[in-house]
Amino acid sequence: MPLQHFLSHILNLLLAGPVTQLLNAIGRPPINPAAPIDGVFTMELLAVILLLGFFVIVRLTLQVEKPGTAQQLAEMLEEFVSNQTEPIIGERYRVYLPFLSVVLLFVLVNNLLGLLPDVDTATASPVVPLGVALLTFMHYHWQGVREHKGGYIKQFLGPLWWIAPLMLPIELISHLARILSLTIRLFANMYASDLLTLISFSLFPIALPVVFLGLHLGVSLIQAYVFMLLASIYVGQAIAHEH
Amino acid sequence: MRTTMQHLFMTLSVLCMAVPAFAQGAGASGNNLVPIAAGLGMALASGLCGLGQGRAVASSTEALARNPGARPGIFLFLVLGLAFIESLALFTFAIIIIKVK
Repeated sequence: MPLQHFLSHILNLLLAGPVTQLLNAIGRPPINPAAPIDGVFTMELLAVILLLGFFVIVRLTLQVEKPGTAQQLAEMLEEFVSNQTEPIIGERYRVYLPFLSVVLLFVLVNNLLGLLPDVDTATASPVVPLGVALLTFMHYHWQGVREHKGGYIKQFLGPLWWIAPLMLPIELISHLARILSLTIRLFANMYASDLLTLISFSLFPIALPVVFLGLHLGVSLIQAYVFMLLASIYVGQAIAHEH
Repeated sequence: MRTTMQHLFMTLSVLCMAVPAFAQGAGASGNNLVPIAAGLGMALASGLCGLGQGRAVASSTEALARNPGARPGIFLFLVLGLAFIESLALFTFAIIIIKVK
């Protein structure tokens, strides 16, 4: 069943009016005013609802003596993210754990939902990775400012005072390029995997696509992991103290 | 090295002769060269990306064989390095998506 079209249809029935008004108000009128909510946004919302449901279930069934299945899964996840981020960020990694876990889970669930047939992959549209990359960018700068206060600017000025005019533009450009590289890495990987699966279906529709779907699954897992890892490296650099 | 340079310059000199001939043909028919450029660009990008990733994987397996205890650290840097090398090929891919419509 085309679940995505069904969900998009319901969303458009409920919310088409306000969303179109909002888009008109910010000066970007939708292409189709009757259906401003597209498949990508629906899948994104579905991922958010799935994650929220998972966390609500974990919170409600939380207990020390007999941990349930959802709690086991959540603990495994927490352990994985902790193990990956502790060597990068340092001993105070716990503060940054929620954001990094959410980035990992959101990208992972969106990538994996894209494996379903007849569904748009949310991360294969450049908008969604751009949103996550922008959030990451703002988050690590905010953490940097919170850690160093006004001294955060020193990270952009280089080691010597007279080299600062040269270092400042270089650092600014390299920080902005991080948004670009995070976005394009995720977007192009998922887009190319989608395209590859599609091409394999058109070449020989029996058994062969399974191989490419396996590849797609691997790429989905690795890209979510890499996104989380890069976010944690950026946070680690932003809060690092010079010795 | 010397023979390589000789071959290179021989090829270049042949290409000097060949350019007017190609130009006449292309000008007459007005072919669309975008698919050829896209294919060549992607082939170059993914081939060189493969070379780079091969080097990275080779040295990391070597390091792992020498010191199996360092597996977590090596794995971290391997995945990071592979992601960065791969993203160079993907930049080419993104440019091709933008340019080929």
